[in-house]
Amino acid sequence: MSLLEIKNAKLKLDDKDILKGLSLSVSKGEVHAIMGPNGSGKSTLSYMLAGREGYELESGEVFLEGQSLSNMEADERARSGLFLAFQYPVELPGVGGMSFLREAVNSRRKFLGEEELDHLAFVKESRKVASKMFVKDEMLKRAVNVGFSGGEKKRFEILQMAMLKPKVSILDETDSGLDVDALKIVSDGVNAQRNDDNAIVVITHYQRLLDYIVPDFVHILSDGSIIKSGGPELALEVEKNGYAGLINAA
Amino acid sequence: MLHNVRDNYIISVKDHVSQFEEKSFRKLASNDFKSWPSPREETWRLSRLGVLSRKEITPIKPNFKKQISSVSKFKGSKIIRFVDGALREDLSSKLPPGSSLNILGEEDSLICFHKFKNSNLKNHPSTNVSFSCTPSIVKLTIEKDVKITDLFEIIYEGGDNNLSVHPALYIELKDNSSITIIERFNHLSSLIMPLQLVELKKNASMNSLKIFNDNQQSYNLSANCTFLSEKSNYNSFSLIKGGLFTRSETHAYLTGENCNLNLNGVYLSSKNQHHDLTTAIYHDVPNCTSKQIVRGVLGGKATGVFQGKVRVALDAQKTDGQQMSRAILLSENAIANAKPELEIYADDVICAHGATVGEIDDEQLFYLKSRGISEKNAKQILITAFLRDIINESVEKSIQNFVFEEAELALSEIISKEI
Repeated sequence: MSLLEIKNAKLKLDDKDILKGLSLSVSKGEVHAIMGPNGSGKSTLSYMLAGREGYELESGEVFLEGQSLSNMEADERARSGLFLAFQYPVELPGVGGMSFLREAVNSRRKFLGEEELDHLAFVKESRKVASKMFVKDEMLKRAVNVGFSGGEKKRFEILQMAMLKPKVSILDETDSGLDVDALKIVSDGVNAQRNDDNAIVVITHYQRLLDYIVPDFVHILSDGSIIKSGGPELALEVEKNGYAGLINAA
Repeated sequence: MLHNVRDNYIISVKDHVSQFEEKSFRKLASNDFKSWPSPREETWRLSRLGVLSRKEITPIKPNFKKQISSVSKFKGSKIIRFVDGALREDLSSKLPPGSSLNILGEEDSLICFHKFKNSNLKNHPSTNVSFSCTPSIVKLTIEKDVKITDLFEIIYEGGDNNLSVHPALYIELKDNSSITIIERFNHLSSLIMPLQLVELKKNASMNSLKIFNDNQQSYNLSANCTFLSEKSNYNSFSLIKGGLFTRSETHAYLTGENCNLNLNGVYLSSKNQHHDLTTAIYHDVPNCTSKQIVRGVLGGKATGVFQGKVRVALDAQKTDGQQMSRAILLSENAIANAKPELEIYADDVICAHGATVGEIDDEQLFYLKSRGISEKNAKQILITAFLRDIINESVEKSIQNFVFEEAELALSEIISKEI
C-alpha cells in the first residue's frame, strides 16, 4: 500500500484551473522530487496536501496510508502523520519556540496514543534533536521565526519535522533562500530522517537541492499535471535543457 | 444649552455644590457642566453617553466606615485606598521617606482645576463634574532625587447603583525622582469619574499601570492630564476589561525637550461592553519621542474604540511619534473602531501610524494547524501571544506576569464563548 496516493487531483483557485488531474503514488522508504517551472502548481499542491482552507479539491482524492484526507482539516492531517515544511515559514510574534514545539509534539503523541511529554522530558528531547540541526538553545527561546535568518527558518522547519516524526513530509522549496552551507545542514537533517517507514516529497525549482537530497523518483509538474516521471537523471536533464524542452516534448 | 433639559444629574451636581461659595473651584466647575457631550462632538461620536442623561444618578456621599473588598495583589506594596472616591488614610500604608500624601486646600485645588481647564480636557464631563463633586483632591508628591523602590498600589473601590464616584489624584514627581504606580479600579455598579493630574519635573520617571476592572454594570470615564518636563519619562499601560462602558482618556503634554512618552494599552471586551482608549499627545517642543501601541480582543456584541491624536507643533522638530493599533474580532457582532489623527506642523519629524481591525491571521492559524495543533488551541495560542507581546514590551519585568494573568482572566471569558 502507498503511504501517499494522489488520484486525479483537480483544483481551482479563483475559477482558474491550477491542478488538472494530478496523480502520484509514494511508497514507504521513497523520496520523490517534484520539479516544475514557476506557476506550474507546486505550492498549490503542497497547500492542498496540507489542507489549507481554500485549497480543497474539486475532484479526485488523496489518501494517507489508505485513509482519505478529504474530510480532514489541516491539524488532523498533521496529527495523522503529514508534515509540510513551508517555503516561507510564518512568523509567530509572542509564541515561544519551545512551547510551540511542545504543543505540536504532544498533539501528535496524543493522537498516536503515546504519553504526552512533560516540560523537562520535552526540553531534553528537543535539545538533543536541536543540536543535530545546529539549532541553538537560544533560538528555541525566541518567538517562532521572528527575526530568524533564512537559514534559521529552514533549520527550524526541519527540526520540527524531526520532532514530529511524520509518515510523509512535503518539503516546499526548502532550498529557497539558502546558501551552500545552510543547504548542506538542512539536507543532512532531512537525510538523517530517511528510513524504511516514511516517505519524503521534495518540491523544488532547481536541481541543486537534489545533489544533497538524492531522490528515488523525479516528476516534472507542468500546468497542473505531471508530464514526465523518471529517476534522478531526469533532474539532470532539466538542469541541462531547462523545462521548456521537456514541456514541448510532452 | 442643555443637551437634555430633564437631565436630573446636572441638577443634582448643582445641588451638591450649592453650599460652596461662588468663587470656589467646585462652583466654577459645576457652572461648566451644562450637558453631557453630544454625539456631534468628534471625540464622543464613537462613544455615546446619551443613556447617562436618562439615568437618575446622584453624587455619592462617601461612607468613611465602609468595609473594603479588594485585597492587595502585591506583597509589600505601599497601598493607597480610595473608597467612594475619598482617600481612606486609615486603610492606606505609611509611605516611604521622600513621598507624601496630602489633601489639597481650596487654593491648591483651584490651581489644579485651572491646569485641567487650560488643557484640552476642559470640556470632558469628568473634569467639570469631578472637580465639583470630589470629596477632596489628593496629592501624592515624590521629592527631588528620591527613587521609590516600593511598588505603590492605588485601589479604587466603593460606589453603588445610581451613584457617581469622584476620586481626584494629583501626582507630582519632582526633579530626578522615580516611581512605579499600579492603579486598580474595582467599583461596584456606578458612574465613576476619576481625575488624574500628573506632573513630571525635570528628569523624573514614572511607570504607570492602570487596570480598569469595575463591575459589569458600571460606567468609568477616566480623565488623565499629564505634563512632561525636560528629560522626563512617562511609561503608561492601561488594561481595560471591566465595566459596561469604560473610557480612559489621556492627554499628555510634552513641554520639555528630550522627554519620552509611552501610552500603551489593551482592551478585552465581551458581551455588550463598550471600551474606549482615547489619547492626545501634544509635542510642543523639539527632540521628544512618543509611542503608542494599542491592542484589543473583542467577542460578543462588544465595541472597542481607539482614538489617538498626535499633534506636533511648528517648533517641535526632530519629534519621533509612533502609533499602532490592532484589534482582533472573535465575533461577527463585535465592533472595533480605530481613529488615528496626526496633526503635524513641523517638517523634520518621524511620525508613523497604522491601524488594523480583523480576524486572527490566516497564515499564522494555518501554520499552527499544519503542526497538528487544533484550531481552538491555535487561536488561543495566537491571541495569548498577541497580548503577551505587548505586555512584555510595555510593562516592567517584575509585574509582567501579574498583568498577563489579569488579562488572561478576561481573555478566557471571551474565548470560552467564541472559540
